[in-house]
Amino acid sequence: MSTTPSPVPSTREAVIIGGNRIPFSRAGKKYVRTSNQDMFTAALEGLVARFGLQGERLGEVAGGAVLKHSKNFNLIRESVLGSSLAPTTPAYDVQQACATGLEAAIAVTNKIKLGQIESAIAGGTDTVSDAPIVVSDRLRAALLDANHAKTTGAKIKALLSVRPKDLAPATPSTGEPRTHLSMGEHQAITTAKWGISREAQDEIAYNSHQNLARAWESGFFDDLVTPFKGLTRDDNMRPDTSLEKLAKLKPVFGTKLGESATMTAGNSTPLTDGASAVLFSSREWAEERDLPILAKFVDAETAAVDFVHGHEGLLMAPAAAVPRLLARNGLTLEDIDFFEIHEAFASTVLTTLAAWEDEEYCRTELGLDGAFGKIDRSKLNVNGSSLAAGHPFAATGGRIIATAAKLVAAKAAETGRPARALISVCAAGGLGAVAVVESV
Amino acid sequence: MRELTVPGAPASFDVTELAQLPSLGGLFAKGLAGSAGKRPKGAVRLPEVAYQVADVDTAGEAEHLAAYQRLLGEPSSEVLPAGFLHVLAFPLATAVMVRGDFPLPLLGMVHLKNTARVLRPVRLGEVLTVRAWAQDARAHRRGVQVDLIAEVLVGGELAYQGVSTYLAKGFTAPDGAAPDAEAPRKEWTAPLPTARWKLGSGTGRAYGAVSGDQNPIHTSSLGAKAFGFPRAIAHGMYTAARALAEVGPARRGDAYEWTVEFFKPVLLPGTVDVSIRYAAEAAPAGSTSGGGFVYEGWRSGKDTRHFRGTIKPL
Repeated sequence: MSTTPSPVPSTREAVIIGGNRIPFSRAGKKYVRTSNQDMFTAALEGLVARFGLQGERLGEVAGGAVLKHSKNFNLIRESVLGSSLAPTTPAYDVQQACATGLEAAIAVTNKIKLGQIESAIAGGTDTVSDAPIVVSDRLRAALLDANHAKTTGAKIKALLSVRPKDLAPATPSTGEPRTHLSMGEHQAITTAKWGISREAQDEIAYNSHQNLARAWESGFFDDLVTPFKGLTRDDNMRPDTSLEKLAKLKPVFGTKLGESATMTAGNSTPLTDGASAVLFSSREWAEERDLPILAKFVDAETAAVDFVHGHEGLLMAPAAAVPRLLARNGLTLEDIDFFEIHEAFASTVLTTLAAWEDEEYCRTELGLDGAFGKIDRSKLNVNGSSLAAGHPFAATGGRIIATAAKLVAAKAAETGRPARALISVCAAGGLGAVAVVESV
Repeated sequence: MRELTVPGAPASFDVTELAQLPSLGGLFAKGLAGSAGKRPKGAVRLPEVAYQVADVDTAGEAEHLAAYQRLLGEPSSEVLPAGFLHVLAFPLATAVMVRGDFPLPLLGMVHLKNTARVLRPVRLGEVLTVRAWAQDARAHRRGVQVDLIAEVLVGGELAYQGVSTYLAKGFTAPDGAAPDAEAPRKEWTAPLPTARWKLGSGTGRAYGAVSGDQNPIHTSSLGAKAFGFPRAIAHGMYTAARALAEVGPARRGDAYEWTVEFFKPVLLPGTVDVSIRYAAEAAPAGSTSGGGFVYEGWRSGKDTRHFRGTIKPL
């Protein structure tokens, strides 16, 4: 199955100027009754203000939300119209589950590289607190029948088929449509297959909170986050948590698998509200406007795995995408200075790393000659990731890209050598998107 | 179950032509009334008769098919899934079982296993010949088991063959029938699931509505209690048909075999953990079919197995 990667065609560069997000907030707290459009507009406006883009016609704004009401069919365009960008800025919606934000960035940077546009914003937003509620299928069918009925009698007849229990609303779930297993249950199966320990997962979670808190304290997020609704920092962050406290939490996923369950609320991401946006452009466009260039968005790869029949774990696609991406760019794991692996669950990070270290897996599943390799853990999510920050699905990509760009810029400035970050985001549907960001 | 190589009922059987497929409602009433009188007495002798209906026009089945597809999760298509063909032929097989000279009681028989083969696709609008008969009454450690065969032909060509094996407890097999070799009972441990089905209390009524199988053990708690179950139980064929739908037309192909073996019943409401996996897990990375699929279902969180089966392209 493995094919020799074609060399990356030479195009001009797409650079990252900067990012902005609102603080992420646990569902049901600060952003209750705040819509996706409110949040994305706020993230966008913060970015516009930071780089003086008022009245500017950008090449494009792309982004999306995973949980989206049908009335938000043009969510991103509507957000642009509510922002101080020129109303002549085109926009479109993207949706690839948790990879939405990164996929939007891949799309707009490709257009920049091809010369179709000069500048773009990519991002995403998600709210669980203001999630759309759907009516039951039976009620929906009755309402549609009544709507299509020609006579009053037929309309009444259609509506009379509604039973009291049909009125119960359905809230969106993270269940996979084909397997009816939640994402957490899927990951619990993968965790059990790879034999990932509870302690290893709690350690990832502990580090995430510690690293994120240190980054906040050091001012790393001062030019990446705009306060919103009275919130100035991510409110899921627990700098005071300890391995002992994490060890006391009861498992919530995989409790019916017959093996000892290891995934808790502490080492799984909470449902979160938030939005993020990242500004990209051609080098020329940034230089003309005297805007800083943090990094270039080098290349990206998406992958999907066959999870429906248990052949592979739901969230394992990045394990396949990263080797392909690095090979195409002539890179190895040693060439990476920062690993930004989205912590959907602590165990997602660990099963991905375990897969890369497993010779048999790399040979049979990834088509490599041997183990892909082991990463230096001190380079992993150095400023925290989703376990501490929270994970408003479509907003996570933008959060990671902005963090990665700032990290490589600082590292290159410090060492005088180019620095690279690898971004990896797993997503529902067995999907994954990964990218390489490099200092300029 | 015996391997059927030659289509059609054994040569000694009389074939009775019916004008149309009988209605299940009437058959169940007859089956209910007749079941009480069918008690074990002497060796079981099956009637050597097959029912056949020619010119079954499926053109009028569009709505029925759509309802079936919606309930089981089959994609919308004009090709009739094997589970739908089973449902289509079920009244004729039931008509055999409610005959006065059929020695086993319709209600109370236990569906042990089912094997179906689709040899060519049957499409909505095609005119079918449907036939059914019972054969091979043989010993089971708890009574006698019998095969109900249903066949569907299109233009004289065999398109579908289903073998449903039922157990009648306490009955005696005909002389000369050797008991099935008893497989040693092995401890069974649940594998990791690939899916989880939450089955509501209305599951039996919903499948009853599309299949016509309104057996009270599936449709009401009281009906189930009358037969010794604590609550209503899911139709075994509902669970098997869901597994078949989950594998889907793209992976099972035009011609396929679909088998299921039933263990403990699924009590409603209930959560069933399911594993639907490639039969040849040694298949190279990225390959999607080949040896077909195996599936199992069990009570979520327990080692209580409900069913297992296979779906294999032919």
